[in-house]
Amino acid sequence: MTSARDLSSTDELGGAPAAPSSAPLADGPPGARQTQKEATRNRVIAAARNLFDTQGYEGTTIREIARQAGVSVGSVFTTFASKGEILSQVMQDRLDGLYAELDRVMPHLRGDTLDRLRTMFAIHFAFEARHTRLFLAHIAAAYDWTLSSSATPMGRNQRLQGIIGEILAKGVAAGDVDPAVDFQETVDLLMAAYAWVYRLAAWNNADAPTLTAVMDRQIGLIAEGFAPR
Amino acid sequence: MKAPTRRALAKQQTRVKVLSAARRLFSEAGYEGATIRDIAAAAGMSTGAVFANFSDKSDLFREIMITDMGDLADAMREAASYGKGVEDTLLRMFAAGYNFYKTQLPLARAAFSVGWSPQDGPALRSAAPVQVLNALIIEQLTGAVERGELGPEDLALRASMLFEAYLSNYPQAIFEGWTVEALQDRSRDQIRILLAGARRR
Repeated sequence: MTSARDLSSTDELGGAPAAPSSAPLADGPPGARQTQKEATRNRVIAAARNLFDTQGYEGTTIREIARQAGVSVGSVFTTFASKGEILSQVMQDRLDGLYAELDRVMPHLRGDTLDRLRTMFAIHFAFEARHTRLFLAHIAAAYDWTLSSSATPMGRNQRLQGIIGEILAKGVAAGDVDPAVDFQETVDLLMAAYAWVYRLAAWNNADAPTLTAVMDRQIGLIAEGFAPR
Repeated sequence: MKAPTRRALAKQQTRVKVLSAARRLFSEAGYEGATIRDIAAAAGMSTGAVFANFSDKSDLFREIMITDMGDLADAMREAASYGKGVEDTLLRMFAAGYNFYKTQLPLARAAFSVGWSPQDGPALRSAAPVQVLNALIIEQLTGAVERGELGPEDLALRASMLFEAYLSNYPQAIFEGWTVEALQDRSRDQIRILLAGARRR
């Protein structure tokens, strides 16, 4: 197990290889160093994604990420400040795909607010169901002591919140969401339900349809609370 | 009852010392940051002596949390006894929880980190006192159904969502510095939303 102390000591070691060489970048072959750095970054991300997904957040160490990526611990630290930041990057790379898909699909969704919320979360589960442990790692990372401010753990990522907010706003316009309802509270409840479903998933090995069914019930219950009366 | 032997007493004292050192270190350095070695040093004993009492760090942490959650369940039960109506009763219970942890938020933070981990999470989340807290919520809902205050629909799901909602406000306290009053306001609205569909009067 890696303690915070281990991490900070490797952090210091990591500083050494980062020292800039005397050759100014502009004089070198264009982008050669950049390409090298990019390749390292991609290898680190790929190794980290695997490890977080199998070992969880706490069980993954920077040392092991470096070993599996075939790079030195120092070069991991030239690109990333902390384990939390690597995980944030892993999730961001993955979620970019998901949100691109949602951006494409959301404008075409029909049905009432409840339907649209259910569809939106079903798309999430279809996308994430095979990597539930990675997602749990993402949540657990939010509580990490060594987390740097540049990391964006679950809950501080605004995109899902924004999408839910838009669905609710449309619902108010369409008349099936009570305008007096506090959006942020409803968003937070949905996010809490969403996170909870992942826990069921990771601990019970549930598949996407099962997750979707559980989430559908929870969304239904929350929707009773935002329906106009 | 047989009087405890001197050896049993000494063992008990060791456990108490280890647990209090561990509680302090988990609060200062988090679950990951606190090592058995540091905990042993802080308790003024050898690593071996710690291991004679606890099988590993997760065992030690779970013991602390189980003790706390047992006390928390008592505090919630007491708070519930003053409640009038199901919403007020649940709110009093959750407020008792927020009050209980307001001076030990770093420990709560460590508990959340462990609670979400694939290795140690399931054991912590299914620990007996957690079941007691769940049962306490179900008890309030069942009572409300019997009084005709709530319908019986989705009672178990409502209970676990209420518990998750209660837990989901902790990050606001841990990271955003929300006061107990702010948590309570949020909790009141959440309870209202989650009970809305079952409300009879």
